[in-house]
This record gives sequence, structure tokens and C-alpha cells, in this order.
Amino acid sequence: MSSVTQIAPTPVAPVAPRGRGRRRRTRQLGWNLLGLLVLAVMVFPVYWMVATAFKPGQQILSYTPHWVPTNPTLSNFRDAIHQPFFWNAVKNSLIVVSAVVALSVVLAFLASLALAKFHFYGRKAFIVLILGVQMVPLAALIIPLYILMSRLGQIDKLTGVIAMYLTFVLPFTVWTMRGFLLGIPKELEEAAMVDGATRFGAFVRVLLPLVGPGLVATSIFAFIQAWNEFIIAYVFLHTPAKQTLMVWLASFTTLRGTDWGPLMAGATLCALPVVVFFLLVQRRIAFGLTAGAVRG
Amino acid sequence: MAQIELVHLSKVYGNDVAAVRDLNLDVAEGEFMVLVGPSGCGKTTALRMVAGLEEISSGEIRIGGKVVNELAPRDRDIAMVFQNYALYPHKSVYENLAFGLRMRKVPKAEQKERVEEIARILGLGEMLHRRPAQLSGGQRQRVAMGRAIVREPKAFLMDEPLSNLDAKLRVQMRAEIARIQQALKVTTVYVTHDQVEAMTMGHRVAVMRDGELQQVDTPQRLYDAPANLFVASFVGSPPMNLFEAVVERDDSRLVCRIGETELELPADVAAERPALANYSGRPVAVGIRPEDVREAAGWDGARLRGRILLVESLGSEQLVHIEIAATPLERSDLIDAAAQPPGPPLGVDDLERAVTLLGRFDRHLLLAPGEAVEVAIDPRLLHFFDLETGVAIPAVDVPVAAEVVS
Amino acid sequence: MASVAESEFPLASRRRRRFTRQRIGRVLAPYALLAPAATAIGVILGYPLYLLVKMSFEKYGLFELIRHKGRWIGTANYAHILHDGEFWRVLARTVVFTAVTVTLTMVLGTAMALLLLQVSRWLRVAITTGLVLVWSVPVIVAVDIWRWMVDYEFGVANWTLTKLHIGNFIRHDWFANPWTGFGVITALIVWGAIPFITITVYAGLAQVPQELLEAAAIDGAKPWAVFREVTLPLLMPIFVILTSLSIIWDFQVFQQIWVMLDFRPTSDYYTMAIYAFHQSFQISEYGLGAAIAVVMVLFMFGATLVYLRQMLRTGEVQ
Ligand SMILES: Nc1ncnc2c1ncn2[C@@H]1O[C@H](COP(=O)(O)OP(=O)(O)OP(=O)(O)O)[C@@H](O)[C@H]1O
Ligand SMILES: [Mg+2]
Repeated sequence: MSSVTQIAPTPVAPVAPRGRGRRRRTRQLGWNLLGLLVLAVMVFPVYWMVATAFKPGQQILSYTPHWVPTNPTLSNFRDAIHQPFFWNAVKNSLIVVSAVVALSVVLAFLASLALAKFHFYGRKAFIVLILGVQMVPLAALIIPLYILMSRLGQIDKLTGVIAMYLTFVLPFTVWTMRGFLLGIPKELEEAAMVDGATRFGAFVRVLLPLVGPGLVATSIFAFIQAWNEFIIAYVFLHTPAKQTLMVWLASFTTLRGTDWGPLMAGATLCALPVVVFFLLVQRRIAFGLTAGAVRG
Repeated sequence: MAQIELVHLSKVYGNDVAAVRDLNLDVAEGEFMVLVGPSGCGKTTALRMVAGLEEISSGEIRIGGKVVNELAPRDRDIAMVFQNYALYPHKSVYENLAFGLRMRKVPKAEQKERVEEIARILGLGEMLHRRPAQLSGGQRQRVAMGRAIVREPKAFLMDEPLSNLDAKLRVQMRAEIARIQQALKVTTVYVTHDQVEAMTMGHRVAVMRDGELQQVDTPQRLYDAPANLFVASFVGSPPMNLFEAVVERDDSRLVCRIGETELELPADVAAERPALANYSGRPVAVGIRPEDVREAAGWDGARLRGRILLVESLGSEQLVHIEIAATPLERSDLIDAAAQPPGPPLGVDDLERAVTLLGRFDRHLLLAPGEAVEVAIDPRLLHFFDLETGVAIPAVDVPVAAEVVS
Repeated sequence: MASVAESEFPLASRRRRRFTRQRIGRVLAPYALLAPAATAIGVILGYPLYLLVKMSFEKYGLFELIRHKGRWIGTANYAHILHDGEFWRVLARTVVFTAVTVTLTMVLGTAMALLLLQVSRWLRVAITTGLVLVWSVPVIVAVDIWRWMVDYEFGVANWTLTKLHIGNFIRHDWFANPWTGFGVITALIVWGAIPFITITVYAGLAQVPQELLEAAAIDGAKPWAVFREVTLPLLMPIFVILTSLSIIWDFQVFQQIWVMLDFRPTSDYYTMAIYAFHQSFQISEYGLGAAIAVVMVLFMFGATLVYLRQMLRTGEVQ
């Protein structure tokens, strides 16, 4: 799960090469048509989910698809939230997500401070470790993790899941925070110190406000990861009342056969917070693992 | 090698930004033509249109007599040197130099021969296997030149190729580029905003402003007979002194009044500029180059009285700022903004309207700020311009601009 | 001289001591700051990794799970899986699946990034927003959407394909045949991965200096040659990183298949991760599962190394 979602830099529009005259205009038209087609194909599944969620049952169970929900209804949503354990799942997800976000931001900030502001023995090794550890497949770790957690008595407990999520988001959040800290010129802090602030004062007055966007970015990342994660929650949380939203959604069908309308309504509800946050990060904060990789 | 003709060339960005307007320019075969002008005047745009990197809004470009408007850059057989060199960072110096040949399917052996030859000439022999990142600024510049030369194109286009170098290297490379161009006799269009570069390198210099061509001529003629106030103020460093004066007819003689001082224009000056007589009773702009402001000792003609504001020693000579009584030019839009002389100091006492006159004097002259001085002005060295249009009031035998007739 | 000063001015010596204490603080501070994160990573990532390797050499079934102690059996687990035909089939299936999925993702993602360069501005903004939308859909939600789209009775895919006369897809069950089943899973994964690839490659394309492309055009390169000779090499670091990441993600594919097939995929759908999961959690052969997982990690190790080297090389690590 540590690497399902990555956030890349906001693209800067490059100057498109210019062609010539009328031929150029027809060619532009061709490209635009192709672009529209691609856009339609890419977005269609998401559209189909939302459209289905609003359709009454007989429009869903129809051999000829109804492309637009002509008589939109909220009954699917009503059904979805009346599914057993929906509110439990919401509560559990919120607990897990807020704990993971709070803890990961604090831990990542401390660690990245060490990596960005200090030179110490073992620094590079730690960086390599952080990058490398992100690559260890969760599917492989889940076996020993299960053994470990059962020894610690953390099976079927939210605390265990929180601890695991926290650890899995840490490498990326530390890495990202470090980038933000490195981006703050050393001179700013030094200027504050020359102006009479203590090292700690300089830290509180100068560094902390500037690193704000970094804190927001990492917490959104942690939020998305913890919200979306499935495997760990599925393996470690057995009691239905203790499961998170993604497990609830995944087991939706197995409870009552496949009831597509409420399922799509539930899926829409589960996706909504993440979609909103994602669109937020994309617009405001540009960071990512490949920024600057092109340079010479 | 080929002639390059720009005929009524215009470029409009979007719908309103006219970067180049009705540009007519004829670059002869083997000529070194410099395009010069202040920032944003459209030099780069003009050059990029010649290269084929920018679409032409209207007009025509011919290379070697052939219209190339619709031709892609690769088919124009020109080479370009970019301001920041645009060396391929992932290719070695050798591959950078050979790239154009490879793209044109020159046989391998010949590629090698030509690249090595060029590398030897440019002193890059030792560095053929390095990447651009491992070169100094000057070496990179040379590779960029080499990449242009090795292809033996019809023309070189260069866009401020020296502006990333430090002052010393720039002077050195300036000479080197001029030397290479002379040896190869390749038609060259060279863009710069540095008028010293323009004057020292170009066979002819085209001065542009706001997308319009102001004057094309040899550096010397540009200096001696600027076609308008803009060229006069742009060419030359330090720039020409410009201020207002009134031409008056006194009996049969013409007199030029600067402040309170009257300069009599000798008969030959008046005869050389018949148009000047039409201005009698009206103000004109006059200009005089700093080196033409002379020491008054031993001069029996008219003198200007003034007070020294500042003395700048340049080692071999001194630049003296002298405050004189004269009317500054009101129409600052006609001259180069960067060349405007520093305004007269505040709180000037008895002189109501003062102008700072810049003079170049011998370094042995003892001059001190605050001192009152008299300088000699030879009326024969004055330049006259129409105050309304800024156009030079010409001497009969000086053609204004070498216009290209399409 | 320092000692004289010290004995004569006790104040100065005190200052000196404080100075050294401060220095010790500065030396220790980074370790203190790292400690919480390092502990978490050590306990929950490091130790299990060690445990995984250890378990792969142990007999570890239900009995051992209750006793919290495995029994050392050397390389028996490895010997077992190496002689297990099922294991080799799963391995081959995973490798092929990864190769196909990664190739499709990279090619389509890059093609779309190039397409973004060509379309008008308004459409570029629209496509980018659409991509971000797709990117943000949680995996489980995506699986449910695709499951619905390829539903054998009322799925929109069957109807569309029939209408397009590609064949008779009425009541076609995609998962009856593992080939078409994997086709759907591949489509789902590629669809979900394209936004990340496209947006990253596009950001990379935007960083390629325009005048390099112009220089190449003047040097006589045709558009395709410009792409091959200039753009592609400059984007190489990005491609290396993206490809290795994709390999790592796709090789361990689990939840898409698991949920798509209702938590009980037939053995035709086993990939390495599912096989390891099945061995450990469904037949309680944790030792065998661990051995399979170790093999999986080793297979992914190459991609990880390439990724690490590229990350370190691009100068992100000072
Ligand atoms: N792509 C563009 N879109 C719109 N306007 C442009 C574009 N490129 C240049 N311009 C405008 O055209 C004018 C001429 O630009 P150009 O780059 O040719 O100037 P220049 O003479 O080369 O200046 P400099 O010495 O600063 O390089 C400027 O006013 C500039 O703002
Ligand atoms: Mg320019």
C-alpha cells in the first residue's frame, strides 16, 4: 500500500511546436478529436459509477444501457447507508485515518528535520533505507506481520492497523517533507538568528510557517493511503463491526448477492472524500518523486 | 552561402502584439549583418522567422533567391547558435558536433574527418568525449559554434551567442567569431543588444526599435550619420549629447542658438544641409558626440559655458559631465531610453534649464567638480534632427537608410 | 595557552564546558529526531522482513502459530516449491502478466502525454483534470466499477461490444476463461495507472528545454528523429523510475484479482502474491507462503535496484 498513490509535479504547459497555416488547423482539429475520445474513454468508468448510483433499479437491470439517469433517485444511497455496519465502517475509517495522519505528520516532520538540517553519520544510509523500504511488497510482508501482530495481541484491533498504516506511509512522508525542508533557504533561518532569535526561535518563527504546505501535502497523502488501504484491513480485522469502509465496500456483494445500484452508490460515497482531496493537492501543491529528474 | 532577403516581413503574436513590422533587409552573400536594438524590439523574432522556428505573419523570406516561408527549419540549410548554446546534454562533444551531419546522412568517415577538423580549429580536440556539463562556458560556446560550422550551411544565425560569457571572454570570442566568419565567408545574421558588439563585428548593422527597422549601414556611417534621434542615441558609448536648439537666420548666415549662446554655422555647413534653412525660427534637436566636445583653449569659434558636475577617469581619458544652459529634449520617446543623460541636479541656481553635456577629455587636463569651464563646439560636428519626427536633417550626400526595394 | 586561561578564568572554562555539551547535543539531536520513525520502521517493516526470511526456513503451521515458534527445517520449503508445478505456473503467469501490464501502461501513458502536447489548451486542462479524477479513485472502488461494467448480464461492455459487431457478447462471462479474465484485470490496472504515468511524463516533457528541440530541427532532424535523439534520452531517468515502479506494483498484484473474483479466485487466477496468501492464510502453511514471498521479493529486487540507483543518481539525494 505504501506506493499505490504517488503525487507528481503539476505540469507546466510546454510550448507546442507550431505547424503551418490551414494544414495546421485541420491537424489541430484531428488531435483535439482524438483527445476528446481519449478523455471520454478514461472518464467513462467513473461516470458510469455515478450514473448507476442515481438510476432506479429497472434502468440498471436493463439489457440496453440507459446512458443518462433520466429519473434520478437517491434510493440507492439510502440502501447503501442502511447496509449493516456502514456507520461502524465510517467511524472506524475516521478513527484510523485521523490517527495515522496525526502521527505520521509528527514523526515524518521530526525525521525529515534530522535528514534535511543535520549532517550525521548514517544519514545517507537512512535515505537509501527509506527509498528501498517503500519497494518491499506488502503482499510478502503480510505473512510475518500477521505472526508479529498475533504475538503482540493486535489481531482484530484498530491500534494494530494504525501502527501498520503509519509505518507504511512514513517513508514517503519523510521523503516529501525532507524535500520541502530542503527547499527553504538556509539563509532565512540564519537571518533570523542574526536578528537575535535563538536556534529554536528561528525554527518556530521561520521554518514552521514555511513548511506549512509540506505538512498539508504529507497529511493528505497519509489520509488518502489510510482511507484507500484494503489488504491489511481485510486480513487483520475480522469482526464486521471493526472493519473499515474499503472492507465494507469489498464485502458488499457477498452479503446480499450483487445489488449494483446500492453498490455503486456506496462506491461513490467511499470515493468522494479522496477525490475531493486529490483534486485539492493536484492544484495547490506540486511535489513528487520525479521532479527535476530531467535536468541535464 | 547565400543571400538572405527579408521582404515586408511582419510578425504578430496573438492578435495584437506586433513584434516585427514591415521589415525589409537584404543580407548580401558572405556578409556579416548585425541586428541590434534594445530589449524586446523584435530581433530574436526576426531571426527565428529566418530560421523557420516562428511562423511568418506576412511578408517573405528568401534564402539564396528561393522563398522559404513554407520550408521547415531542417530544409533551409541554415545553422543557428543559441544564446544558451542548446548543446544536447546527453551527447558527447563529438556527438553534438556530428549530429547535424548524421541527420543529413553524411557518411561516417566523412563525419569523423569533418568533426575532427573543426575540433582542431576550435581547440576542442582534447574534449571530444566529454559531455557539455563538463565544459567551461567558453568551451561550450565554442562547441556551439563548431556545431554550426561543421555543417557548412548556407547561413549562420546567431542569437546573442556571447551574452552568457564574462566580459573578458566575450571580447575574446567576439574577435574569434568575426575571424571565423571572415575565413569561411558565410552569410551571417547576428543578433545582439550590445551596440559595442554590433559596431565591432558587423559589416553592416541594422538598428531596430519596437519591431521597426531604423537604419541599416556600416558601423562607421551609422556612427557618423545616424538617420534619426533613436539611432543617434543608441549607437555610441557614451551616447551622443542631445538637446534642443533654435535655428535662426541672421542676414544670410544661419545661427544655431543653444541656451544663450549663439553658434554661427559656417557657410559650408549650411550648404551641406539645405533643408536646415527651412527650420529657421524653429527649434531643432542638435547632437554632438562626447569626443567632439573640445577643450576651449586655442579655439576662436563659439564656446559653451558650463560647470563641471562630475569627472570620471577612464585611465586613458576622462569623462566629464558638464552642466550647460540649454533646453533638454522634451520628446524622450524619440530616443533610446537607456541613453538618456542623467537629469540636471535639483536646486540648480542661476541656470533655469540645464542639460548635462558629456565630454571626453585628455587625461592630463586638470578638472575638478564645481569648476566653471568653457568648451568649444565645432558647428561642423553638430548633428541636426527634426524635433517632431526625430528624423535627421540630412547632409546632401548622405543617404538615410539603405532601403531594400522589393 | 588555553589551559592558562582555563585556570585563571573559571568563568571561561564554564563556558567552554557548556559549549561541549551543546556540541554533544548537536551530534545526538538528529538521532533523537529520527528515533520514533526509525523505531516504527524497524519494528513493523524491518523485523517482519527478517521474520519472513527466517520463516521461509521453518515449518510454520497452525500448531507453530499457536506456540509462537517455528521449527527449523532448512531449505525444505524452497525445495518443495521448486518441485511444485503449480509454483512454476504461477511464476510464469505473474511474469507474463507484469510484462504485458507494464508495457501497456508505459506505452499508453507516454502516448497520452505526447497527445497532451498536441491538443488545444482547454482540452489539455480538461484531460488533465479527468486523469486526476481517475487517479483518485480508490482501488476497491475501481474494481467494483469494472466488475459492474463487465457484468455478464447487464454490463455495458457486453452490450457495446455486441453493438460494435465485435462478436456476440450477450451473457458473456469474462471470468469463465482466465485469459479474458486477466484481460479485464489488465485493463482495470492499466486504466488506473495511466494517469500517474501520463502526468509525470508530461511534466518531464515540459522540462525539456525548447531550444534543444529547435536546435535539433535546425540540425536537420525530422520530428521522429527529434523525439528519438533528444526528447527520449532526456526523459530516460523518468522512464527508468516509472518502469521500475510499475514493475514493482504490478508484480505484487493482489487486491484487484482478489476482490474482482469475490475473494475466492480459482487457481487459474493465482499470481505470486495470491499464491503466497493462499498457502499461508488458507491452508495455514505459513512457512511455505514465506518461501514463495521471498522468491517474489527476490524477483522484484532487480527493479528495486534500478529504481534506487536512478533516484540516487538524479541528485535528489545530497
Ligand atoms: N511567444 C510570444 N508571444 C507573444 N509575444 C511575444 C512572444 N515572443 C516574443 N513576444 C513579444 O515580441 C516582442 C519582441 O520579442 P523578441 O524576443 O523578438 O525581442 P528581442 O529583441 O529579442 O529582445 P531581447 O534583447 O530581450 O532578447 C516582445 O515585445 C515580446 O514581448
Ligand atoms: Mg532576444
